[in-house]
Formats: sequence, C-alpha cells, structure tokens
Amino acid sequence: MSIITAIILGIIYWLGEANLPFVGLWTLQRPLVCGFLTGIVLGDPVTGAVVGGTINLVYLGFISAGGSMPADMALAGVLGTAYAITGNLDADTALAIAVPIGLLGTIVWYLRMTIDSVFVHMGDKWVAEGKFNRLYLANVILPQIFSAIICVIPCMLAAKFGAAYIQTFIDFCAGKPLQIFQVIGGLMPALGIAITLQYIFKGEARIFLFLGFIIATVSGLTLIEQGIVGLIMAIIYIQVSDRGPAKVVAAGGASADVEDPDYDPDED
Amino acid sequence: MGIFSGKPWKQKLIPKRALFRASMIWETWVQTCYNYERMMGMACAHTFLPVVKYLYPNDKQKQIDLMTREMEFFNVHPEFGSCILGLAISLEEDKAMGENIPNEFITNIKTSLMGPLAGVGDTIWQGVLIPILLALCIDITRSGEGNIWGAVIYAVAMFLITYVFSYVNFMFGYRAGGDAIMDFLEKGIINKLLKGASIMGCMVMGGLIVNYVKVKCGIVIATSGTDFSLQESLFDAILPNILPLGATLGVYGLMQKKWTSIKIILLMVLVGVICGFFNILV
Repeated sequence: MSIITAIILGIIYWLGEANLPFVGLWTLQRPLVCGFLTGIVLGDPVTGAVVGGTINLVYLGFISAGGSMPADMALAGVLGTAYAITGNLDADTALAIAVPIGLLGTIVWYLRMTIDSVFVHMGDKWVAEGKFNRLYLANVILPQIFSAIICVIPCMLAAKFGAAYIQTFIDFCAGKPLQIFQVIGGLMPALGIAITLQYIFKGEARIFLFLGFIIATVSGLTLIEQGIVGLIMAIIYIQVSDRGPAKVVAAGGASADVEDPDYDPDED
Repeated sequence: MGIFSGKPWKQKLIPKRALFRASMIWETWVQTCYNYERMMGMACAHTFLPVVKYLYPNDKQKQIDLMTREMEFFNVHPEFGSCILGLAISLEEDKAMGENIPNEFITNIKTSLMGPLAGVGDTIWQGVLIPILLALCIDITRSGEGNIWGAVIYAVAMFLITYVFSYVNFMFGYRAGGDAIMDFLEKGIINKLLKGASIMGCMVMGGLIVNYVKVKCGIVIATSGTDFSLQESLFDAILPNILPLGATLGVYGLMQKKWTSIKIILLMVLVGVICGFFNILV
C-alpha cells in the first residue's frame, strides 16, 4: 500500500469520525459506507461494500448518546476493509479483526471530546468581543484541524504497516486459529442485533421477532421482502388495535410511556 | 399536521432565507466541536450567526448578550432537537420585538426540552430507523455475488432524511412554539410510530438472525456404523437456526442485565476460542 493510499484512508476515517459535513455522523461513520469508500480507494468497491456491510452488522444499533461512544465503528470499517482487501480475508475473519480495532479507536473519540473544550473558550472570548464570524474558526476549523491530526495519523500508520503484515499474520494463523476467527466473526452480529432489540423488542412487538425468524427460516424471502411484509403487518396491527374496544384505554394510557423511564443519556 | 397549513408564513424580523441558513448551520456543524464541557453549546451560538443581525441591527451589546446566552451547555439529538433551536430563535425574535420574555425563560425552555427530545430522538433514530435501514441495505449489498448498491442507497437515503427532517423540524419549532412540541411528545403519535416501527424492526431482526448470525455445532458423536452429527441430526431436525436465535436472545438477556458491549465482546471471544478449539462450534 502506497503512502498516498494510506493517507486517503486516514482522511476517510477523519471525515467519518469527526462528524464533518455532510452528515458524517449518520452516513460515513457506518462501516457499510466507509468500507465502500475504502474499497474504491483500493480498487475493489464491491468487496469493500460487502466486507464493510458485514462489519457493520456488529454496529447495527450502536447508540452514541450523551457524548459516549461504545465503539469506533469508522476505524473498524476502514481498517477492517483495508486488511480484508490487501490480505484476501473473508468477511467473517475481517469482522473478527475489526471489532478489537473499533474498541481501540474509542480513545480518539474521548481525546477529541476532552480537548475540544479549549476551542469553546476561544469561542467565548470572540463572542464577548462581538466577533461572531470567528465562530466558524472556533466551532469548525480549529477543532477539525485537531481532529484531522489525531484521526489521519494513527489510521494512516495502521493501514500502511498493518497491510504489510496482514498476509504474514494470516499465513501464520492458517488452520485452527483462522477457524476460531470465523467462529467469533459468526457470533458477533448477534451483538449488533441484540443491541437493536433493546429498543424495539418491547411489549406487543416481541412476538414479531419470532414471526420474522420463522418466515426467514422456512421461506426464501429476501430481507427487503420480509421488511415490506413487516411494514404491512405493522400498519394492519395499528389499524386493528385502533379500532378495537380498547381504544379508550389506549388513548388514556398512551402518554404514560412517552419517555422510557430507564433511559439514561450517559449510558453506553 | 395542521400546524403547517394553519398559519400562513408571515415574516417578523428574520427573513426565511436566514432561517434556512441557520438550520443548515445547525445540521452541518452541530458536532464539529463536540466536547464534554458544553457539548453542542457553541453550535447553538453558531446557529444564531445568520439571524442575530436581524434581531438587533443597531445594538452590538444586545447581540453580544444574546450570543453569550446561547453559548451555554446544550446537548440533544441533532435532528429531533432542531425544533428547540427554531423555538429559541422565535423566542429571541419576540423578545427583540419588545415582548417581555426574561432571559432565564429562554434558557429554561431549551434545557427542559432537550432531555425528552434526546430520549425520543436517540431511540427512534439510532435504535429503530438506522438499524432497519442498515439491515436492509447490508442485505442488498451482500445479495448474490455482492454489489455496491446497498452502500449507495443507504448513504443517499440517510443524507436526505437527515437534512430534510432537520429543516422541517426546525421550522416546526420556529412556527409552532414550545407548547406544540410538548403536545407532539405527549400525544400518542410518537408512540404509535414507535410501535409500528418496532413491529417492522422485529420482523427484520428475526430475518437478520437467520441470515447473518452463524452458530453451528460441530459435535459429532461416533456410534457404531454412522456418525451422529448434533447439528444435522438434532438441531436442523427440530428447528434450523435455533442456535443463532438462542445466541442472540442470550446476548439480549445479558444486555438486559446491564452487561456492557465490551464485556459481551470479550465473552464472545472467549466462547469462540474455547468452542472453536474443541470443535464444539464450527
């Protein structure tokens, strides 16, 4: 991997991680998207999208709330995909390698969240002096220069040197260790699904998980088709429960759980 | 919603163009300087940048007071919370037009709305919308020999949803006011939406378990004559994919018991190493 390629990968990571335009937070940060871009840079967009998408399964329902970041999925996406392409790994193995990288990457996030306070004080000063246009400097340019430094450099080094050794590493792991990687990689998506279930596997919706499971097991429906069936089910369910005799009760009790009482913004 | 059709657009002090610019600044730069001290506080002040000159055209000191007020601690879900910014701007506008609104009132209403909106927003956005959209797009990408369309569709769709929703919500806050926001949160609409999305989400997650969680038992019991494979002869005979379902529900149970994701990842590595080594799982 040339140094220029490694720097471009670092920039992709920075754009995804530092919430830069345009909506890096919800799009580029996801391994499906940044893996795809990594694939383009390395000349294999399809593998990039497939491996990125596989890595993304672990991070399906990851919630960053109240400034916490349980895992750095952008770094996992970029580096995991880069290693998969340069080292010819299959998607499950790449996933098993990417997840620990994602845990390490949270350091970057917490460093940034801490240091960025400095720029707020600059902003305070400029606002007090009436130089409002300098908010671009305090809110965007300076913190982003800092983010670029702490994002591009580690990612570039990891991409450049990791890619050089990944082949040797995988050859070394041939046989049993590689098989273990695949077992772990096969298990990991359960985490992404379970985290999502924390938010949707509630009350009357619960039974539909098992319906979805059975439909997928016995039929050949694609996930899209199954999603459409799910959407229709949801509409029918709401129409029926709206019309039922329980309507009065439902209207009275509806406001009770607007806000999840267990919700804690600082929670991982 | 009747709120949008009910009131025709009437300009007070701020032209619509400036409001549009303010909402775009909010959505684009909301987390560029995210930090533990003020969270999105500075992004709030930044959002006021295009409108402040219309509020107090000839009074620099009042502009400075306003901007200082907006630099305070603020943290919310960016898209769901954009209505608070719209509301804050409309309150500041009324104040500039001579209505008697104390500064504390504006700060208080911002602080009291950010909790509920962050809660609802994070749940709907990151817990329901993104997982469903991602699951479908990952499936598109991995179907057949693999293709790029899932990634492209996800990125474009999410970009549009984010900006359009943020702008519409911003203008909703600006025009409808705080009571309307509370109304919206307390009426059943959000709940109905959430229930419907949960049903669809559960269906998709059920399919996802079958397609992407891979847990296969490798135990083969040697008997006289034929080998008895636990996976083929037992699990596949009762209910295929019962192991992936069990694994997912197991992880779900651990999360309900407040296990962190890091602990679960470590457990999975441990299970993978032990079971993989002894061929319990293949």
